[in-house]
Amino acid sequence: MSVAHPGPTVVEIRISARPTLIPTVRTVASDLAGRADFDLDAISDLRMAVDEACTTLVRLTTEDDTLTCVFTVDNESIGVSVSTRPGWLGAKVSTESFGWRVLQTLADDVQAHEGNDGNPNSIGIAMVKRLGTVQ
Amino acid sequence: MTRPGSSSGAPSNGPLQSPNGSAHHEAARHDETPTDATPGSGDAAGSPGDDEGGERRRDTEYAHLVPLLSEFAELEPDDPRREALRDELVEGYLPVARHIARRFSNRGEPMDDLVQVATVGLINAVDRFQPDRGSDFFSFAVPTISGEVRRHFRDQGWSMRVPRRLKDLHVSINAAVSELSQGLGRAPRPSEIAARLDVPVADVLEGLEAAQAYRSSSLDEMLTSEEGGATLGDLLGEADAELERVEYQQALEPLLGELPDRERTIVMLRFFGNLTQTQIADRVGISQMHVSRLLAQTLVKLRQRLEAE
Repeated sequence: MSVAHPGPTVVEIRISARPTLIPTVRTVASDLAGRADFDLDAISDLRMAVDEACTTLVRLTTEDDTLTCVFTVDNESIGVSVSTRPGWLGAKVSTESFGWRVLQTLADDVQAHEGNDGNPNSIGIAMVKRLGTVQ
Repeated sequence: MTRPGSSSGAPSNGPLQSPNGSAHHEAARHDETPTDATPGSGDAAGSPGDDEGGERRRDTEYAHLVPLLSEFAELEPDDPRREALRDELVEGYLPVARHIARRFSNRGEPMDDLVQVATVGLINAVDRFQPDRGSDFFSFAVPTISGEVRRHFRDQGWSMRVPRRLKDLHVSINAAVSELSQGLGRAPRPSEIAARLDVPVADVLEGLEAAQAYRSSSLDEMLTSEEGGATLGDLLGEADAELERVEYQQALEPLLGELPDRERTIVMLRFFGNLTQTQIADRVGISQMHVSRLLAQTLVKLRQRLEAE
């Protein structure tokens, strides 16, 4: 992500890893995209992508854990990184599921990661939605 | 009240205009009550006599009620004869209310409710009609009744209390989105919608957010065009071929099969046909916001079913 002036805006939300809190994150996502003047398709795509990513990770962790969702907004794109602690040994994001297909369709660049930010005990999904890519 | 054979004939008077101005197919098919001859809702003060065949039909069906309308209008509000006369008028014109209710019948609301709402509209029309103004009752009653039914759709669809201002804004935004999409060839941005409607961007954002609280698709249906694209079959063929290439096809396919046709089409085109929501809206003939809502709902459904497997 470019670090042009002014620098990207960062919004970080931490929620208990529960399905009932996902709508809150989703709403933040579409609000940020709307304020960044993304077109309606892109706003809706991002909203659904965030929903999908959060749902996927909530299922891979326990309710007592925390889901961290970081939005990085700049002039051309919104980056989303959602991460949590794996709920059991070997819990990881499947990249061969319909859910993954959904994410790849809705966002421009999607990656599943394990052990990010120097924390080996972490799983997550990172994606970017670009402003001008809806053809 | 039905006339054998008349429904298949050419509707000489044209169907009533649907609220968004396009002739509704259902209305054309139900061309069997005299109300079809009523002028469209747009010209309440227009010339009722430009449509002679309809005039004649209508006159014979409802002629006996016309003097009662004048009589009713002249009664004092506390006149004891008022109630009986009103009942007679409402009952007499009930086929008109039923006919209008039927025009809205394929939009997901129970027919009984629609007739009831339309009857409320008819009662209002009877109460407010002023024969001395010169226009005939139909020109006044049809828009009054349709307005009542439309208001019902507008108010029913919201899952939480949303201020009327936002509901109205939702309607304007929806219309602007469809116009702008046509011109731009893509979905508009909030700033473009704001410029089009001449309102602040903040209002548009608020309206878009309110749209998320919109539960029912009934209002969207009213803003929907009737035609699906001719190329839908080809596009779906390509999407099907793409679906066959993925590993989870065997798990997903039966679940897709359980979906209503339209939902399945939308999911296929978005995730396997690589069309944008706006392109899908165009092909399927519904609004972008409607596609967005159906996609989100369907994903939740599919996720639950895949989970349950």
